[in-house]
Amino acid sequence: MTKKIFLIALVISVPVLFTLGKEMDSQDNDQEKVVLELKLPKPMFVGTPRNIRTSNLERITGKKRGPFLVPKGTELLSFNKPVTGSDPEPVIGEMEFVTDGEKSGEEGYFVELGPGVQYVQIDLESSHHLYAILIWHYHSQARVYRDVIVQVSDDADFITGVKTLFNNDHDNSSGLGVGKEKEYIEVNEGRLIDTRGVTARYIRFYSRGNTANDMNHYVEVEVFGTPVK
Amino acid sequence: MNKKAACCWLFLLVVLGGLLFRLIQLDLRPMHHDEANQAVKFSRLLEQGEYHYDRTEHHGPSLYYLSLPFAWIASGTSFSALTEVTLRLVPVIFGVGIILLFLLLKHSLSLEAAVFSGLFAAVSPALVFYSRFYIQETLLVFFLMGAIASGWQYLQKRSLAWAASTGFFCGMMFTTKETCIVAFGAMFSALLLTHFSLKKSFRSDDMPRMPQASHLLVFLGTGVLVSLLLYSSFFQNPKGILDSVLAFGTYFSRAGDAGFHSHPWYYYLKMLAFSQYGNGPFWSEALILVLAVVGGFAAFRPLSNGEPSPFFLRFITFYTLFATAVYSFIPYKTPWNMLPFYIGFILLAGYGTVFLFTTSKKLIFRTIVILVIGSGLFHLGMQSYSANITFCADSRNPYVYSQTSPDFMHLVKRINDLALLHPDQDQMLIKVITQPDEAWPLPWYLRSFGRVGYWQEVEGAGEFTDVPLIVSSLDKTFRLQPALEGNHILEYYELRPEVLLALHIERSLWDIFLKKQSEK
Repeated sequence: MTKKIFLIALVISVPVLFTLGKEMDSQDNDQEKVVLELKLPKPMFVGTPRNIRTSNLERITGKKRGPFLVPKGTELLSFNKPVTGSDPEPVIGEMEFVTDGEKSGEEGYFVELGPGVQYVQIDLESSHHLYAILIWHYHSQARVYRDVIVQVSDDADFITGVKTLFNNDHDNSSGLGVGKEKEYIEVNEGRLIDTRGVTARYIRFYSRGNTANDMNHYVEVEVFGTPVK
Repeated sequence: MNKKAACCWLFLLVVLGGLLFRLIQLDLRPMHHDEANQAVKFSRLLEQGEYHYDRTEHHGPSLYYLSLPFAWIASGTSFSALTEVTLRLVPVIFGVGIILLFLLLKHSLSLEAAVFSGLFAAVSPALVFYSRFYIQETLLVFFLMGAIASGWQYLQKRSLAWAASTGFFCGMMFTTKETCIVAFGAMFSALLLTHFSLKKSFRSDDMPRMPQASHLLVFLGTGVLVSLLLYSSFFQNPKGILDSVLAFGTYFSRAGDAGFHSHPWYYYLKMLAFSQYGNGPFWSEALILVLAVVGGFAAFRPLSNGEPSPFFLRFITFYTLFATAVYSFIPYKTPWNMLPFYIGFILLAGYGTVFLFTTSKKLIFRTIVILVIGSGLFHLGMQSYSANITFCADSRNPYVYSQTSPDFMHLVKRINDLALLHPDQDQMLIKVITQPDEAWPLPWYLRSFGRVGYWQEVEGAGEFTDVPLIVSSLDKTFRLQPALEGNHILEYYELRPEVLLALHIERSLWDIFLKKQSEK
C-alpha cells in the first residue's frame, strides 16, 4: 500500500515539479536584463615621470638561476666557431662577436642585424650532443626580444632534419610555427635553454626586433655539449 | 617689387613653412605621459562642461578652454572620438602664432630682423618639437610674445586698446602656467635695467614715458579679469581663484625639491649648444645662440641718431639673460621649460643676422655670412625633421624626455585586436595594475573602452581568473602571476626606455585570436 501511494505521489509530483521549474525558468528569462554597472577605479594623475637615457645593469626580476646539471665531459663548443646570418652586412659589429667569448653589455660587444625576422647561425663544424645553450641578446637595458626561436639541424640550409628547441613566437608572427615558451626579459646572466642532448652541427637563432626598437642584437651565444663518438 | 614687399612675401613663406614643419605626421609620436594627462583632464571639460583648477597638477586652465573649439569642430563633445591630431593642433596653431606676432615687432627689431627671427622660429628643432606637444609651454610662449609685442605697441602708440591687449596677454600667461612668474620677474627686471642703461646714455630721450594711470588700471583690470574668469571656471568654481595663488607655494617647493628632474645649471644651454647620446646624431642650435650673442652685443653699441631706439633690443637682451639665469638656477628642469627664455634668443638672433649683413659692405664678408647662415639654417631644418619624424620618440633626441616608446603602440593594437574578438567588445573588462606613473598614457588610448579599472596594488584588484585582459607593471607582474592560476598568457611591451608593461591575455580569448590569425 505504502509503495503504491509513493508511486502515485511520484507520478503526480514529477510533472508538477517539471512544470513549476519551467515556469520559474521562463520568469527568469522574461526579466529585463541590464548591464551590471561596475565602479572601477579611475587612473591617478601624476607628474612627468623619470627620464631614463642611461643603461641600467641591475637585474630586473626573478631569482638567481640555480645550478644546471650536464653530463660529465660537457664543454663549450661554440667558442670562435664560424657564424653566418640572414643579414650579411650587420648594421653594427661583426658576426664573429657572437662566439668571441665577450659578454659585456657595453657598446662594441654586440652585433646588430636589421629589422624584421633575422637569424644568426653557428657552425660547430661537426655533429655534437648538445646539452645547454646560453643566449645574450642585449642586456644593458630592460628589453624583451620578440619571437626568439632556436633550431638545430645537420643541414646548413635548415631544410631537412630541423628541430626546434625553443620558440616563444606565441602568435606565429615570424611564420615558423606557434611557440609554447614565454617571452623573457634580457638580464646579464643570459637565457639558458635546456637542449636535452639533441644531436646537431648547426644552430640557428631567430628574433624579430625587441621592445626598445625593431633591430636584432646578439652579444654572445654559448653552446655546450659533447662530441658524437 | 620693393624691399618691404619682398620681406612681407618672405615672411608669409616663413609662416607657411613653420606651419608645414609643425603639421606633418602630427600623430606619429605616441602620446607622452603628460599629454595623456592633459587630454584626460580636458575630457571632463569637453564632455561634462566641468573644469576645476588643481593647484598640484596640470597647470592653468587656458589650454583646456582653448582646446574646446578644436575638439568641437573635429569631434563634437565626444572624448572617445577625439584624436591626437586634434589635440596637438592647439599648440601647432599657437606655435605658428608666435611667428606671426614677430610682425608686431617690425619697428623695434626691423622688418628684416623679424623675418629672420621668424625663420629661426620656424625651423628651430626645439620650438617645432614642443609646438607638436599637447602641453602648456607653447601657449605660454605665445602669450609671452603677445604681452611683449602689445607692451611695445602701447609704448609707441599710448592707446587704451594696446594697454588692454598687454593686460589680456599677461592674464593669459598667468592662466597658462604658474612658471609665468619667472617671465614676469625677468620682464620687470629687464625694464628696470633697460631704463637705467639708457638713462646714462646720450639717447636718453628715447626712453618711453611712464604709462598714464588710467591705462595702467585698464592693463591691470584686463589681466585680473581674464585670470578670474578662467581660474574660477567662469564662476563655476570660485575656489580656483584662491588656488591659483596658493599654487605658487606648491611650485616653489617643487622647483627646489626637483627629485629625478634635478639637472645641473648648464642643462638647457648644453642641450641647445651640442648634444649627442649613444650612437645617435649630434644636435645643435648653436647658430641661433651665436647670432643671439651678436644681436645682444649689437644692442649695446653706441647708436647714431639715424638708427632706431635701442630700448626694445636692450629690453629683450636683459629679459633673455634674466630668464635664462633663473631657469638655469632652478634645479627642476624639463626640456620644454627652456622655451620662455629661448624665444629671447630667437629674437636676438634675427637682429644679430641683420646686424652682420649691414655691418660691412665687403662682398667677401657678406658671402661668408650668407654661406654660414644659409648652411646653418639648412642644418636646423634637417635636425627639425629628424627630431620630429625620424627620432620623434627616440631617447637619442635631446628634446625627447620620458617619452612613451613606439613599442607601446603594439600593446594598444593588441588590446584593440583582442577586443574585436571578445563578446563584450569595447565593454570588455580591462584591469590595469601599476604605479600611477606607469599607467599613462593608457587612459588616453583606452578611452573608448567602457570598463577599465586602475589599481596600484594586486591585492585590491579583486578576482582575475575570468578577466580577459590585465595590464601590469613588472613589479606587480610577479605578484600577480600566482593569482592568474595559469589561465593567462603573458606578453611584454615597452612603455618607456627601461620601463616594461606586461599584458596578461585570458587563454580562451588568446585561442580565438590565434584561430583568427591562422584563418587570415
